[in-house]
Amino acid sequence: MSLSNQFSSGFTLFLSLLVEAIPFLLLGVVVSGLLLLFVNERKLIALLPRNPLLGALAGSVMGFLFPVCECGNVPVARRLLMQGVSAPVAIGFLLAAPTINPVVMWVTWTAFRDQPEIVVLRVVFSLAIATLVGCIFGTQADLKPFLQPAVAAAMPRPPVVESSFLVSGSYLLDKPGQPLRLDASLPQIMPEAKPVGDRLKLLLENTVQELRELGGILVLGSLIAAVIQVAVPREVVLGLGQGPVISILTMMLLGGIISICSTVDSFFALAFASTFTSGSLLAFLVFGPMFDLKSLGLLLTIFRPRAMIYIVAIVAQMTFLLTLFVNLRLS
Amino acid sequence: MSSRTLPRLVWNVDWLDVLALGAWGVLMLHYWLSGRLGLLIHPNYFWLAIAAGFALLLIAGLQAVKLLFTENVPGVRHITLFPPGWMSGVLLVAAIAGLVITPRPFNSDTAIQRGLTDAFTVTRSRPQSFRATMRPETRTLIDWVRTLDVYPEPDAYTGQKVNVQGFVVYTPNLPDQYFTLTRFVITCCAADAYPIGLPVKLSQSRQAYQQDQWYQVKGQMITETLDNKRQLVIKADSLEAIAEPANPFAY
Repeated sequence: MSLSNQFSSGFTLFLSLLVEAIPFLLLGVVVSGLLLLFVNERKLIALLPRNPLLGALAGSVMGFLFPVCECGNVPVARRLLMQGVSAPVAIGFLLAAPTINPVVMWVTWTAFRDQPEIVVLRVVFSLAIATLVGCIFGTQADLKPFLQPAVAAAMPRPPVVESSFLVSGSYLLDKPGQPLRLDASLPQIMPEAKPVGDRLKLLLENTVQELRELGGILVLGSLIAAVIQVAVPREVVLGLGQGPVISILTMMLLGGIISICSTVDSFFALAFASTFTSGSLLAFLVFGPMFDLKSLGLLLTIFRPRAMIYIVAIVAQMTFLLTLFVNLRLS
Repeated sequence: MSSRTLPRLVWNVDWLDVLALGAWGVLMLHYWLSGRLGLLIHPNYFWLAIAAGFALLLIAGLQAVKLLFTENVPGVRHITLFPPGWMSGVLLVAAIAGLVITPRPFNSDTAIQRGLTDAFTVTRSRPQSFRATMRPETRTLIDWVRTLDVYPEPDAYTGQKVNVQGFVVYTPNLPDQYFTLTRFVITCCAADAYPIGLPVKLSQSRQAYQQDQWYQVKGQMITETLDNKRQLVIKADSLEAIAEPANPFAY
């Protein structure tokens, strides 16, 4: 293929990915911003189940209320932990919210209308992995050794472990035995306390910031997809894409590096639909939203490195095994 | 406070956001108005791109008003990977590239690179029903390929009339007297475009028909063994060069 043809075909591909993805990105950003600013998180938290399995499941489907992609979910999970939700809920939410939400499901359906099994299995696998990891962390009586000191310090103390008289900090005596800690981080962002006009200003600011960051990464991701499509010889792509194991590993690696937002990663995967195995496309769609280079820094704002390595290792192994099963048994 | 009434036109890196989002809004609407959206995405999603174009312009406008009329209070910055301005710069450059360089439809090179000659290329969408009642000469190229997918016995179609459009690809596995009449099919956007095609038997060398030129081909179906495979071939009675359709994809 001549260089100018390569360029023109790559450029068309690049633009088509962006023109198709940007409306969905915009929708995801606006909807998640609206919910973040207008939903009362504390009332929601009071409704969550205590049982670890149910909690993990509840956390995993909370993405329906906070349709955020993987850059929005880390700050939300961090805030949830600080407000005292249980570990299974927070971790279930952290891992599943970028995938288990209406916007992402719609986009996956848009991209993979011809392969509905990918749409369904993406949801099922993400839910299974997030719930399992949530449960594993639910067996841990005290999560604090896994968390960054700042997060651990902001968490409400378990009521019976220590007397509140021995804890330093500023308190309001609200009800007997239950002092309200003043230096917790919650009141600073309590959105329901702000007038609507201010909240709309915050919404605008949030929308612009997220569009800038996520849109920029989307542009770079589309560029990479386009370059791979036109510059890497077809034999090489097919060689990587057709092996049941190597295709999964390649796509998981791509998902980890490219850091494309989960709202629009289906379109990226679509560019590989004709050359890569279904299992590997699923691996990309399941693993990418749970962990990638971009979320690495964000995750480290919650977890200590050791805990993050545990989570990523479990998620990677489960993704690999589940999608390998798809490649070997279902397709 | 004068700062609340007088616009404050001071350059800072936040203006890059306004430019980047505004440029993308303009680009989306430009593709719509110039009829090029069809080159990039499936018509089902035109309305999304158009709505996003308007929404982006609105957001850019509101942000501009905010920068002009409110004091620059550093808000809660998200945790970001890149220094401020970089990502807006990337968005802006991409939008400008889209405005300056006209996207071109895929051509024969892309068709071959995307596996036109691969034996396993079949249409990905499964037809709901086999429309045997359709008159053969009203079938488009993609109708033919889909019909073949459902009932892949070439001899069943021998002698049927053909009247189809597509562009010329010199596929290397066909002799000189044949080319492949090709179209790209998309289900979502150009990223998933895949080529479909049928061999056309000519009365002379294919060099008389330029690659990538679109033709209306009339003739009838015959069956021949090409590339060690018994397959359906269009025997062309007439080839009429036509302009490339405004929307070159098939669905």
